[in-house]
Amino acid sequence: MNKISSRQIYLFLACVAPVGKLILLPAQLANFSKNDLLFPLLAHLLLQAAAVFCVLLLAKKGQTLYDLLVRAFGKIVAKMLSTVFALFLLFAALLPLLEQKLFVQNVFYDTLPSVVSFAPYFLFAAFVCAKPLAGFGRTWDILGPLAAVGLIGILALSAPNADYAALMPAGASGGAGFLKGAAAGFPWFYDAALLIPMLGHIDYKKGMAWKGALFYLLGGAFVIFFFATFYGIFQETAVNQLFAFSATSKYYSGITMLGRIDYVFIYALALVMAFYCALPVQGCAECALQAYGRKKYLPTVLGILISALLFALSLLLDYKFADVLKVISGTVFWLFPVFCLAVPALLLLFLIKGGRRETA
Amino acid sequence: MKLRKFLHTVPMKIYLLLLAVVAFAFFSNDFGLVDIQKTAIILAAGIDKTEKGYSLTAQIAVPKGSDRTTGGTSSVEIEAEGQTVSDCISLIFSKTGWVPKLVFCDLIVLGEEAAKEDVVSSLNYFLRNDYMPDSCLLAVCEGKAGELISSKSAIDDASSLAIEKLFSDAAVRSGKVVTNTLKDFAIDYYGVSKSSYLPYVRMTDQAGSQGESGSGGSSGGSGGGSGSSGGSESDGNSEKIYSAEETAIFKNGAMVGLLPREQTLAFSLLQGNMSTGTVNSEEDGRPVTLTVMKNEGSVALKTDGTPRAELSLEVTVRLCCRGTTAAMEDISSDSVTPTIIRNTEERLGGYIRDLWQTTKDCGCDIFKLNRMLYRSSLKQYARWKDTLLDVAEADVSAKVISMK
Repeated sequence: MNKISSRQIYLFLACVAPVGKLILLPAQLANFSKNDLLFPLLAHLLLQAAAVFCVLLLAKKGQTLYDLLVRAFGKIVAKMLSTVFALFLLFAALLPLLEQKLFVQNVFYDTLPSVVSFAPYFLFAAFVCAKPLAGFGRTWDILGPLAAVGLIGILALSAPNADYAALMPAGASGGAGFLKGAAAGFPWFYDAALLIPMLGHIDYKKGMAWKGALFYLLGGAFVIFFFATFYGIFQETAVNQLFAFSATSKYYSGITMLGRIDYVFIYALALVMAFYCALPVQGCAECALQAYGRKKYLPTVLGILISALLFALSLLLDYKFADVLKVISGTVFWLFPVFCLAVPALLLLFLIKGGRRETA
Repeated sequence: MKLRKFLHTVPMKIYLLLLAVVAFAFFSNDFGLVDIQKTAIILAAGIDKTEKGYSLTAQIAVPKGSDRTTGGTSSVEIEAEGQTVSDCISLIFSKTGWVPKLVFCDLIVLGEEAAKEDVVSSLNYFLRNDYMPDSCLLAVCEGKAGELISSKSAIDDASSLAIEKLFSDAAVRSGKVVTNTLKDFAIDYYGVSKSSYLPYVRMTDQAGSQGESGSGGSSGGSGGGSGSSGGSESDGNSEKIYSAEETAIFKNGAMVGLLPREQTLAFSLLQGNMSTGTVNSEEDGRPVTLTVMKNEGSVALKTDGTPRAELSLEVTVRLCCRGTTAAMEDISSDSVTPTIIRNTEERLGGYIRDLWQTTKDCGCDIFKLNRMLYRSSLKQYARWKDTLLDVAEADVSAKVISMK
């Protein structure tokens, strides 16, 4: 079985994809949209669900991204566009990797550990790049339920301490707050783009497109509930809570007697996050391999090169995370809607037009 | 053939190995290793304002020698003065060579003078520090916080542990004390009400303890920069006991008033905190004490016309004790007579009215009326936000029910 099954796709969309939004994004949205943070979140989830619908509809053809591009533009342009898309995924991988690194260093360690403690992650990323995508699909069979348990556990421990009235009054931050929050939130919503390199590897089943979008929204409902809980707990100080999902559950009353039992769920989610963060890296390698051929040692060499580059960047930007965040979510945030929303929609459009031409 | 089969499975083996390495590095938590000889585990911090800036007294847990067989915690108090709180922490490091560790700091005490200015300037360091638990308790004390932290407790090895006992869940349920944490104080401060509260700690000599018995808050031994709370009594310091039955109230981060114990009790009842404590009342001029079995308190804001605060509470009580002799039939009954109920209602109603007046006089919105208004209507909030406490009147309702 070299294809990613519909079950694996649904598990990814409903359980794994939400995990990537639980570290910095809540504080980021609270910073710009304050108590209205749910509105930009909802807008992103709806847009991504629509994009997921488009990508899964493209999967119906059973062709890879490169094949679709060749069909629409010819080989040379297809190679160029695949390279550009691969570079975008490499760029998209940077923020979650740095975010994950900061999270591990701050939450799992009492004092700031050396940079080496995160280095093995890049070995893992290199290996992931060399593995076929279908292998990753199988990991979702394990990670999906694990993420679900983590999410439910964290929410169950956090919800009793939340004052959900803190989300009122709706609309207090106005249109400007919504737009700023929406713009700043784009770098965390690239799930549809993550599915694009998987085109041609997905075992399409009838109704998969709308079901996929629905599963994505189901996962999104968890994210909305978590964000509401997060703001209900921290309210005006939410902006100061950079590692959201590790912070909300620590006020559970049982912790004084039992210790930090919430770490069971935090570790579960952190493990899922490690795989989720590797997805754009793997997607980048896959797009390049589709365009330039899967030669004997190319996947391994490419994996090592990409991971080495990301490792170097993580060292270089070790004390510049605030600047990186400012640039990615403030200056070049528009790259994300272009590649994650416009590209799936345009690909679908080309496919429909091409299909009509073929029929004619 | 076998070799080929083995080679085919190598990637998966490497994959699993790398996975193990990643998990190992990720979740090792530095293997939880803390070199106790190089680390100052700060149990509590006392902050005072000085001419230079801040004075921070840290109570640091010290490992006990093996000769001691009893339980408890030994501690040493180190004082440092600097321009910022962070500066003080750095000085503690340079004075002792111990790396200060705040992960276990459960109490921050602010000196009275420090509390009269915007205390968030004192708390800034703790709010920024990722390794500081924001569930840490906050308190204000009479006199200097350094003296309180350095004082010798009559009931525990470390003063901070004795003080924290005052803030236990059981103490909060008794209604005698209200507590607040760093996180909740920050939420109140940065919220629209900009008002909050902290327990106010007083220190008194324990009756019969050795050494001089000066007035509370003035006989601590921190002046020299360090001292030991677990030392012998021959150093002249008397043992202290602490109380936190009063509540300091804050507006814009500065302490603007002090709620006496009756108003603290009323505040506690209105928050619905009380479930096992007692309230005093009277019958025919004789004292009686009632146990509060159930407490439902609420604060609401009516904005039809001029805003009105509705402060209401309903307590279910039973007779706990009379200050006079009573017949056996009376002792065997827990029910409360209508006279006691009426007197208790009047008494509790009076406490609530006094509390309301104090908050109005101090301009401190501890009932979060501004927040209620903000959450219910932005339009009404814009209209009343600057004058709400001045114009609002309170409808007080105290209902006492006898347990059958």
